[in-house]
Amino acid sequence: MTDSADGSMSSSLSRRGFFRVAGVAGTAFLGASALAACGGGSSDTANTIKAAIAGEPDQLDPQKSSSYFTFEVLENVFDTLVEPDDQLQMRPALAESWEISADGRQWDFTLRNGVTFHNGDPLTAADVEYSFRRIIDEELSNAYKLEAIESITALDEHRVRFTVNAPTPNLLTSIGGFKGLAIVNRRNVESGEIATKPVGTGPFSFVSRSPGASIVLASNPDYWGGAPAVDGVHFSFISQGTTAVSALRSGEIDWTDAIPAQQLSILRRDDTLDVGTVVANDYWYVTMNFDATPFADTRVRQAVAYAIDRKSIAQVVGYGTATPNELAIPSTSPWFAPYDRYTAGLDRDAAVAKSKELLRQAGIRGLDMRLMVTTEYPETVTAAQVIASNLGDVGIDVAIEQLDFGAWLDRQAAGDFDALLLGWLGNIDPEDFYYAQHHSEGTSNAQKYSNPRVDALLDSGRTELDVEARKRIYADAASIIADDVSYLYLYNPSSTQAFVKQLQGYVVRSDKAIRFRDARLERS
Amino acid sequence: MTALHSPLLRFILVRLLYTVAVLLGVIVAVFFLMQIVPGDPVRIALGTRYTPESYEALRNASGLDQPLATQLVDYVGSAFTGDLGVSFRNSEPVTTMLFDRLPATITLASAAIVVALLIALPLGFVAALREGRLADNVIRVVSQFGISVPDFWMGILLIGLFSTALGWLPSAGYQPFADDPLGWLEHLVLPAITVGVVTGAIMTRYVRSSVLDVVNAPFVTTAKSKGLSTKRVLLDHVGRNALVPVLTISGIQFAGLLGGVIVVEVVFAWPGLGLLVYDSVAARDYPVLQGAILLIAVIFLVVNLVVDILYAVIDPRIRLS
Repeated sequence: MTDSADGSMSSSLSRRGFFRVAGVAGTAFLGASALAACGGGSSDTANTIKAAIAGEPDQLDPQKSSSYFTFEVLENVFDTLVEPDDQLQMRPALAESWEISADGRQWDFTLRNGVTFHNGDPLTAADVEYSFRRIIDEELSNAYKLEAIESITALDEHRVRFTVNAPTPNLLTSIGGFKGLAIVNRRNVESGEIATKPVGTGPFSFVSRSPGASIVLASNPDYWGGAPAVDGVHFSFISQGTTAVSALRSGEIDWTDAIPAQQLSILRRDDTLDVGTVVANDYWYVTMNFDATPFADTRVRQAVAYAIDRKSIAQVVGYGTATPNELAIPSTSPWFAPYDRYTAGLDRDAAVAKSKELLRQAGIRGLDMRLMVTTEYPETVTAAQVIASNLGDVGIDVAIEQLDFGAWLDRQAAGDFDALLLGWLGNIDPEDFYYAQHHSEGTSNAQKYSNPRVDALLDSGRTELDVEARKRIYADAASIIADDVSYLYLYNPSSTQAFVKQLQGYVVRSDKAIRFRDARLERS
Repeated sequence: MTALHSPLLRFILVRLLYTVAVLLGVIVAVFFLMQIVPGDPVRIALGTRYTPESYEALRNASGLDQPLATQLVDYVGSAFTGDLGVSFRNSEPVTTMLFDRLPATITLASAAIVVALLIALPLGFVAALREGRLADNVIRVVSQFGISVPDFWMGILLIGLFSTALGWLPSAGYQPFADDPLGWLEHLVLPAITVGVVTGAIMTRYVRSSVLDVVNAPFVTTAKSKGLSTKRVLLDHVGRNALVPVLTISGIQFAGLLGGVIVVEVVFAWPGLGLLVYDSVAARDYPVLQGAILLIAVIFLVVNLVVDILYAVIDPRIRLS
């Protein structure tokens, strides 16, 4: 910037010219303000929960959206037939009860009486049939969860029959694990309004949306589970974590999950706030390419598994909120199975020695490894740096490749990698954790892992109805997968949310569903 | 004399043609820029919903299966008719999304210009009239500081002070004017100050040099020698004449703010164009990103065109050069 603004050039601009310019600027300002005023109206009361989420929903059709921000809002607007409770056990929701035929092929669901949509339409079995047919016929993003279903038929007003091609123990999770499987209103879908003005049966109804800024929900007095204790929820979108934390501490908002990990200690010290942290059902992993020498050698992969210091990684990425794990399923899940082969009884020196020994057996002296991460998920970059340092200790020279997510996906699909690092999010049933990733025919088996024993176990887990037997099957499969290092598991991240102490009855859930139906505000 | 022989009209016509040519260049440049960004946009848009069928369908729907030349011609053609395609994220028309966001950004940019002028006019005048003295030096140092401070940092500082510590003003968000005028103003203050201070620091220097130019001009010497009081000279002669270039700069700064307040909008969760650009980058929503870049370029071009024409109307000498 220089100091040589030219003053002589337009010194003859008349007084009228001056006012004209000023007038134009003034009009633009007022005009903009008037236009800006056309946004959605809000009617917040003291009894409205003001929540800030970290981004804007892409659209509001629960069956079509793939954005977590959408589901944070829609969790409160829509219902599913069945739903996971706090412990992620599947419970009745719109369906009051269900019966399974002796051969496990027919599931008859009985709907709750007297449920209405927010537009006044009564909920019937036809709506349920329509909702699932829409996902399957239009091949929406969750159609794969319904692959086992042969047919869905409304038996009468209140009963629906699902026929499956084989006994399907995880059917409840597949049809109600999250709001992507929501029961939608046919009129709302056919008018096309579902994407902008969704109509559900949930505890809150959609009121208005202001693009880029907020979504307002009002309490549904006719909710089948009882009217919520608050008047509504006002979601605003604040992507900057520091701003969200400031807003929470100054009392502008009541709840947020847009929390930078490094600010957690400040929030924990604030005695007007509650910070809730639970281990999430997500996991982060490294996998190595079975088609790339020498990573096809199990000893090499195991050497890498011994050399990686999971505790340091969890500390660095999560500031103490992440939990190191050697399998996918976290210890808080009913499907958890213990496994600690790569750390049991080994301090860091012993683990390094064990790793070097395995490399020696495999005939490896020095080794170069390309580790592919994506800037889409910054924690992969941080974790990769720790891994590079860990592997340096055993003579493996790691080149970290930071890619744009699109390029990352292309390279993964093409099998052009030595190793890669990513996570799987939003899993509930053990099948979600293992089948697609580790079955020879799995759709997400980019590392090209194939073990007939694992295939057989995963196939039987799909159809085993006895819960205890199923637990044993997945525990066996998981330990073989970890022994073979198909995936090298690193940690389960946490779900962390902070809210004012006046917000009572709210539960932080490990599936990260944001449910305000039972919450109340006790403002003094 | 027919209209076309009027030098003013010819000048305007030539400038208009020039603007259209630049606009065409910008559209083509934006188009090719998006081609060289790594990663397949369709693949990214589908993300976890990827299947070979959905991939082909979206590629087909967005015209990306056509040869590059066809795509370019289509894009330029529809861009000139206001059709910028639909968002990958929510299938909304890009044009609608942009115009949804424009008012919030215009509001913020206008308020920021007001703040900037409130800072720059007094400081610039004082600095010029005290040229070389202590006040001038202090103001120059302070304005240099203002120019150097990153706006997001200033934003975070202001939030920390006025929202967290004092609790006077909201730290984030937006309230439509019609719902609650007071709330609208409260939400506007901090982002407007953040942007305005940085812009004001830049403009202080323009005001200073502009005033200096006028103060040393012969007609001011004449006015003084006629025995007018210093106050009269300042108000009637220096003030008005020095303000003209300042207003021009304000216009250009305003255009710059419309496209350049991305970081501040993100910090304050202000739902304008900047936040839309940020979100679109994060979501790899290329059609929206392309549209936003084009819109910002158009705003620049139009403001420049208007400024040039205004000059020409006022000062015939410009047309000759």
